[in-house]
Amino acid sequence: MFFLSAIAALVLLACKPERLVAPGEPVKALSGSWQIIKATRNGTDLTNRFDFGNFRIHFTDSSYTIDSLVPFIVSKNGKWAFDDPTYPFQLSFTPADSGRKSSPLLYPVSAGQRNIIITFSPGCGLNSYQYTLQKAN
Amino acid sequence: MERNKYWSWAWKIGGAALLFVVAACSMSIDNVVQPASVNGGDILPVTLNVTITTNTAQTSNFMVAVLVPKIWNTAKNATITFTSDISSGDQGMTVIPAGTPAPQGGGLDWPTLLATRLGNGGNLLPDYEWVAFYSNSSYSVAGNATIHATVSIKIKTSPDNLSFKLGYCVANSTDGLSSSDRYGSYFGGCFQVNGTGDLIDFCNPQLANIDPRTSLDNDIITLTFDGGVTPTALDNASSVYLCVSGITDTGDSLSVCEQTNRTKMRSLGLNKWQIDLWPRKLFNLSDNKHLTGLRYFFTDATGGSKVGYGGGSQPFTYTFKCQ
Repeated sequence: MFFLSAIAALVLLACKPERLVAPGEPVKALSGSWQIIKATRNGTDLTNRFDFGNFRIHFTDSSYTIDSLVPFIVSKNGKWAFDDPTYPFQLSFTPADSGRKSSPLLYPVSAGQRNIIITFSPGCGLNSYQYTLQKAN
Repeated sequence: MERNKYWSWAWKIGGAALLFVVAACSMSIDNVVQPASVNGGDILPVTLNVTITTNTAQTSNFMVAVLVPKIWNTAKNATITFTSDISSGDQGMTVIPAGTPAPQGGGLDWPTLLATRLGNGGNLLPDYEWVAFYSNSSYSVAGNATIHATVSIKIKTSPDNLSFKLGYCVANSTDGLSSSDRYGSYFGGCFQVNGTGDLIDFCNPQLANIDPRTSLDNDIITLTFDGGVTPTALDNASSVYLCVSGITDTGDSLSVCEQTNRTKMRSLGLNKWQIDLWPRKLFNLSDNKHLTGLRYFFTDATGGSKVGYGGGSQPFTYTFKCQ
């Protein structure tokens, strides 16, 4: 009897609950320099019609700087933020000299490269621009 | 066995075709009463006289659509009512929200289906739209009946100076635009709004135009010169350049009139030329300066041949503004 109880106890003790940890959503990292790889205005592709080649935006932890400005959501350097660092749907820019401007944010992976797509109106509100940015080498 | 299968399919197809024929209404717009012009900001009154002929009993909503300049914002600025033989008093209609699939429209909504099937009425600028309305009630109609309806459309125009070819369509919520006898359509000649600002001419080919039609100096704008519209001094030019002045909010005129890479237009063929530019950069504007408009010409590589408005010596003009 004792033998059977010991075996039963051993069997029970041998069972160890497995802790299932849901894979965490990676924090979206913007740090680095980004370039424009596609640009549309009201759906018209301007990528090869307008010189976006030298534009760069450099993101650090909370700041951004812009080189070779083109019509963009902001025209001065400043601070940036996600609405939610884990599941960001908005990317906001706060230039040093004016108020915060936000853009809807898409964060697709294309051909193994992380892109960010932002939508904004630098001029008239009804003229909608969509830029696809990719890390510059 | 094969013979039975054949007859089974024949009955199915024949039955479906018969059902389609009997469950349909045909519609026509018999005439349209609209003024030749109105003043900017006034109400445009239009009357459509419509005949509906039924094959069999049907219960549907009545659909009326108008082809109008986008700048009128017709979805918010129009009232459509109708009277008919089978209803009493004015019957109200309401805009069908964009994105609502049209019946038998393959998933397209009414504005897209109308643009696909009926087109743009001959308007040459892309800033037009179809706006569709459904009757607030549905109506049961008897078979083999002929019904007359009188549609009253009232659209508040914008203050803008423009010419446009208005269009109309009537249909119902069952048949949609499934075949050409299921709906009625009408396209008018050039309708004029005597308003303010540069003429927005949808009716005549433009020697030059700027896209987007409304913009500010911080937009990217596209200037197109279409030498195919009329003979000009640039008919035989091997390259074409932009010669442009920006008028600032302080009344200064800044000129960029040179034959260099930054003003060189790309050829689209058939004597059509195009350039995309960012006015703030072209004129090197400081933060506190803004442009209110442009005056521009097109030149050849020497600058000696210069083409302006209507092919003449006055500049084309463009005003920076938003809707």
